[in-house]
Amino acid sequence: MATIGQICVLAGLLACAIGTPVAFAAGASRSARGLVWSRRLALAFAGAMLAANLVMEYALITRDFSVSYVAQVGSRATPLHITIVSLWSSLEGSILLWGLVLGGFTAALVVLQRRGHEDYLAYTIGTLLATGLFFSFLIAGPANPFQTVSPVPLDGPGPNPLLQNHILMIIHPPMLYLGYVGMSVPFAMAVAALLRGQLGATWLKPLRNWLMVPTGFLTLGIMLGGWWSYEVLGWGGYWAWDPVENASFLPWLTGIAALHSAVVQQRRGTLKAWTVILIMVTFLLTILGTFLTRSGVVNSVHSFTQSPIGPLFLGFLGIALIAVVVLLAMRIDTLVSEPAEDAIVAREGAFLINNLLLVTLTFTVLIGTLFPIIAEAVRGVKVSVGEPYFNRMAVPVFFGLLLMMGIGPALPWGRASRAELRRALLRPLPAALIGAALTGLVFSFEWQILLTGGLGGYALWVTLDQGMRPARARVRGGEPVPRALGSSLTRSPRRTGAYLVHFGVIVTFIAVAASASFQTSNEATLAPGDQLVVGDYNLVFEGAVNDRQPHREVQKAVVRVERGGRRLAVLEPSLNQYDTQREPIMTPAVRSSLGHDLYLTLGSVGADGRVGLRAILTPAVIWIWIGVLVMVAGTALCLIEPRSERAQTASAAPEAAAT
Amino acid sequence: MNRTVLVVGALIVAPLLIFLALSFGKDPRAIESPLLEAPAPGFALLDLDGQPVSLEELRGRPIMINFWATWCQPCIAEHPVLQATARRYEGRAHFIGIVYQDDAELIRGFLAQRGDWGRTLLDPDGETAIAYGVYGAPETFFIDTDGTVVRKVTGPMGADFLSGIIEELL
Repeated sequence: MATIGQICVLAGLLACAIGTPVAFAAGASRSARGLVWSRRLALAFAGAMLAANLVMEYALITRDFSVSYVAQVGSRATPLHITIVSLWSSLEGSILLWGLVLGGFTAALVVLQRRGHEDYLAYTIGTLLATGLFFSFLIAGPANPFQTVSPVPLDGPGPNPLLQNHILMIIHPPMLYLGYVGMSVPFAMAVAALLRGQLGATWLKPLRNWLMVPTGFLTLGIMLGGWWSYEVLGWGGYWAWDPVENASFLPWLTGIAALHSAVVQQRRGTLKAWTVILIMVTFLLTILGTFLTRSGVVNSVHSFTQSPIGPLFLGFLGIALIAVVVLLAMRIDTLVSEPAEDAIVAREGAFLINNLLLVTLTFTVLIGTLFPIIAEAVRGVKVSVGEPYFNRMAVPVFFGLLLMMGIGPALPWGRASRAELRRALLRPLPAALIGAALTGLVFSFEWQILLTGGLGGYALWVTLDQGMRPARARVRGGEPVPRALGSSLTRSPRRTGAYLVHFGVIVTFIAVAASASFQTSNEATLAPGDQLVVGDYNLVFEGAVNDRQPHREVQKAVVRVERGGRRLAVLEPSLNQYDTQREPIMTPAVRSSLGHDLYLTLGSVGADGRVGLRAILTPAVIWIWIGVLVMVAGTALCLIEPRSERAQTASAAPEAAAT
Repeated sequence: MNRTVLVVGALIVAPLLIFLALSFGKDPRAIESPLLEAPAPGFALLDLDGQPVSLEELRGRPIMINFWATWCQPCIAEHPVLQATARRYEGRAHFIGIVYQDDAELIRGFLAQRGDWGRTLLDPDGETAIAYGVYGAPETFFIDTDGTVVRKVTGPMGADFLSGIIEELL
C-alpha cells in the first residue's frame, strides 16, 4: 500500500513539474497545443491526488499499520466513520487532503472553463500547477504519509480525541481547506490577468465567481470552527481571537473586500489594480495562516507540534511574496482603469469606505497576531496579545461596517444631487429608531446595544428594500406575490443573493453583540438531589452515570432542567476519558432555543458522587449559526447565472472560440 | 516597472520574512524567566478597594503572585484551586492576584460571584506584568521570604502541585 501511495504522489509531482513550465510557455507563446497539454497535465495532477487519497483511505480502513500515517493515527478500537475522517486528524494527512482539494479545484477550473478565455487560461493553470508542485513535493518528501513502518505495529494510538468527540470536527477542517485552497484559483486568475496585462469584464466575471466559491466555504468553515469550539470545548464561547482563528479570519476579510471592489470594477471599470492586489493578498494570507498553524511559531490551541515543514512553508511563503511584489511592480501599470464618465460619488464612495474598513481590520488583526513574534525578535521579550486588544480594535470597525451596510446600498450609483442623497439616507431612519428601541427593550439601554440595534435596523431596512425591489416591481406589474418572489430568484439571483448575504451578516452581527454582552452563569458542587439556579432555570442534579464504550469511558451528570416548576428537558454534560489519552475531555450539554442557550459543563466527578457543574445562559447564540448559513445560501445564489445571461453566454461562446 | 509598488512591497515583505524566520526553533510556551534566582521586581499597586499594596510590605512570608483575567478560560478553571489553597495556608503565605489586561468592574463582578482568594491588585498600565515578563495568563510566580523569585509556572496549576510548591517555601 505504501508503495502504491508513493507512486501516486510522485505521479502528481511529475505532472506539476512538467505542467508548470508547459503552461507558462503556452501562455507566453499563446500556443493552442500547449494549452491542451497544460489541461491534460492539470487533470493528471488532480487524478494522481485523488488516487493518493483513495489509497490512504483504503489503508486507514483496512488498518494497514505498515503505512506510517495509519500507524500514527489509526487504532483498531476506532469506529469506522472516525477512521475515515482521521485522514485530516494529523499533519501529514491534512497536507495530503490539501493536495486533493487543490487537484479538485484545478480540475474544476479546467472542466468548467472549457470554452473561451484562452488568453488567460494557460497562465492560470501554470500558476495552479506551480502551487501544486510545492504541495506534492511536501507530500512526497518532508510530510510523507506513505512511509513504510517496520516492524509493523499491531495497533495504533488512534486519532486526536478532539476529532472523535464531535461531528462538527469532521466537517470543519474540509470546509476550511475548501476555502483556503480554493483561494489559489482566483490568485492564479489574477496572476494571469497581470501577465496578460489586462483585466476586462469577460475575465472579471469568472474571476469573481471563483473568488466567491472559496469565500463561501471559508465563511462556513470559520462558523463550523466556532460552533465546534462552542459545542465541544466547554468554555461557553465560540471565538477567542486565537492566532489560528485569526489566520482564517484574515483571508476572509480581504476576500470580502476583493468581492466588493470587483463589483465597483464591473460597474465602473475602476479599481482594477486594487482588486488584483486584494486577491493576491488573500492568497498570501492563506499561506501565512497555514504557516502559522503548522510551524509552531505562535502559541495556539490549534498548533500542531513543531514540524519539519515549517521552514519549507516559510520558504514557499517567501517565494510567493517576492513573486507577487515583483509581478505587481512590473505589470500593475498595465491595468489601467477605464475612464469614468463622472467623478466617484455616492455608492462608489461607500464601497471604498467599506474596503478601507475591511483592510484596516485585516491590518489590525494581523498586527495583533504577529506582534508576539515581532516583539520577541526585536526586544527579546515574550508578550502575548489578549482578547481585549482585538475586541477594542475590532468593535468600532464592526460598527463602521454595519453602518456602511446600511448607507452603501441606499445610495445611487454615480453622481447624485443633494436632495436625492438626503432622501435616500433619511428614508430608513425610522427603521433605525425602531431597531434601537427594540434591542433596548429586549436587552438594556446601554449605548453600544442601542447603536447596534439602530445601525442594524437601518441596514436591515435598506437590505430588505433593495433585495425585494425586483419582486416588488413584478407585483406592481400584476404578478402574484409567490410567483414574483420566485422569478426574482431566477431572473436576478445575484442581486437577491447579495442582499441575502447582507441580511445574514446583519443577523450575525446582532447575535454576536447580544451573546457577547449578556452572558450569565453560575456554578456549584452538587450532590444528587441538589439544585443550581441560573436565570429563571432550575437545574436538578439527579446523579452521575458511567458509560463504558469501546474506545472511551464516559462520565455523565444527569441534570433535570426546570423552569417555573415545569420540567423541560434532561441534559447530560459529560467527561470523556479516552483510553489512549491522559486528560479527560469535557463535552458540554447545550439546550438551544431561539431566545437563548442553556449551556452545562461538567468540571469534575468526585468519588462520593458529587459533581462540579457550571451553567451558562447566553442569548441569541443560535442566530449566529443561522445568520452564517443565510450568508452561505446567499453566496450560492450569487453563483447562479441569470436566465438572460445564460442565453448570452451560449451565443457568445462560438464567437470567442472562433477568434 | 512601478518603483513605488516595488519599494512598498519590499518594505512589507522583507521584515515579515525576517521576523518569521527568527521565530523558528523557539517554543512559545516554554519560557525560562530571567527573573529566576533574581530579586523580585518591586511594585506598588492599588487593590480593588483602592488600598495601596507594595512588595516591600509583603516580605517575611512566601508570596505567590498569580497573573489572571476574567477573559482567560484556564484562569477560571484555576480559580477554585487557588481559593482552596489560599484558605489552607492562610496566615502562612501571601496569595496575590494581579489583574492582567482586564477591567476592574469585570473582576469585581467575577469575584463577587465566585468568591475571593487573597488580595487582588490592579495593574492598569500593565507595568508590573511587563516587569515580570508575563507572556499569557495565567502565569504564577513564587517569591521566597528573602524576596527572590524561585519559581515560575505557566498555565493553570492543580491543587497538589500548588501546595507542593508552597510547602517547599514554608
